Amino acid sequence: MNTENVDGLTVALPAGRLDFGAAAPFQQQLEQAVAAKPRGLIVDCSSLDYVSSAGLRVFLVAARAAKAAGIGFAVSSMKPAVKEVFDLTGFGNVITLCADRAAAVAALA
Amino acid sequence: MRRSRRSRRRARVSSGVKTAHWQLPGDAGQLPDAITFLQSFWEEAELPVALGFTFELALEEVFLNVALHGADSSRVPSVALELTASDTEVVLIVADDARPFDPLTLATPDIAAALEDRTIGGLGVHLVRQMMDTVSYTYEAGHNRLRMTKHLSRS
Repeated sequence: MNTENVDGLTVALPAGRLDFGAAAPFQQQLEQAVAAKPRGLIVDCSSLDYVSSAGLRVFLVAARAAKAAGIGFAVSSMKPAVKEVFDLTGFGNVITLCADRAAAVAALA
Repeated sequence: MRRSRRSRRRARVSSGVKTAHWQLPGDAGQLPDAITFLQSFWEEAELPVALGFTFELALEEVFLNVALHGADSSRVPSVALELTASDTEVVLIVADDARPFDPLTLATPDIAAALEDRTIGGLGVHLVRQMMDTVSYTYEAGHNRLRMTKHLSRS
């Protein structure tokens, strides 16, 4: 997974499938990103095609870790199939979901 | 004609109905092959891509439930997958010989809970129930059998 650093924010860019097999490495990368104490962490899902409950769990773990560390956390740019999974599980109630990266940057300002 | 692993899969076409079967060990490491089986069927049956996402998710959640929770220490369960596509619906059946367990009895997760109180348990089955049109469970002759259907509207 690629990450970028923009204006004190870390942007993580998961791509392809976030399934059972991909969940553990993704979680490691997000935990490393939180440990580096950026001002905020954005997960830009513009290249993410698929997420299962194993993948969702990583978003939950990362959101909690960011909150505990006092770091802002937002998820942006979800394709419809990924957004549906977030919506059906009510994750949008506890994680900041933004239509695009600019909105996520603004949400963490 | 592709051979080897695919030779274990049987595909049949008759009067517009396509079916495919595959039997595999209920081991989490088999998940990528199970997904490949589904994707191959999707291409051969020329099914809508967006619907494929729904079925991939259902297959992952149900297969992992069997692989991670259905196994006992002495034995890996056997899982049989069956896909059927007609002009009006797609059906996925996941059958296994693990101990009897009806995933539809799992409590609905609290999707309004606060961040700290969120658990992931039961979310997979919740997603499957939400995304499929019908989900039904039977236990027959030593096998759990979960049948999932989604209506199909071909243009």
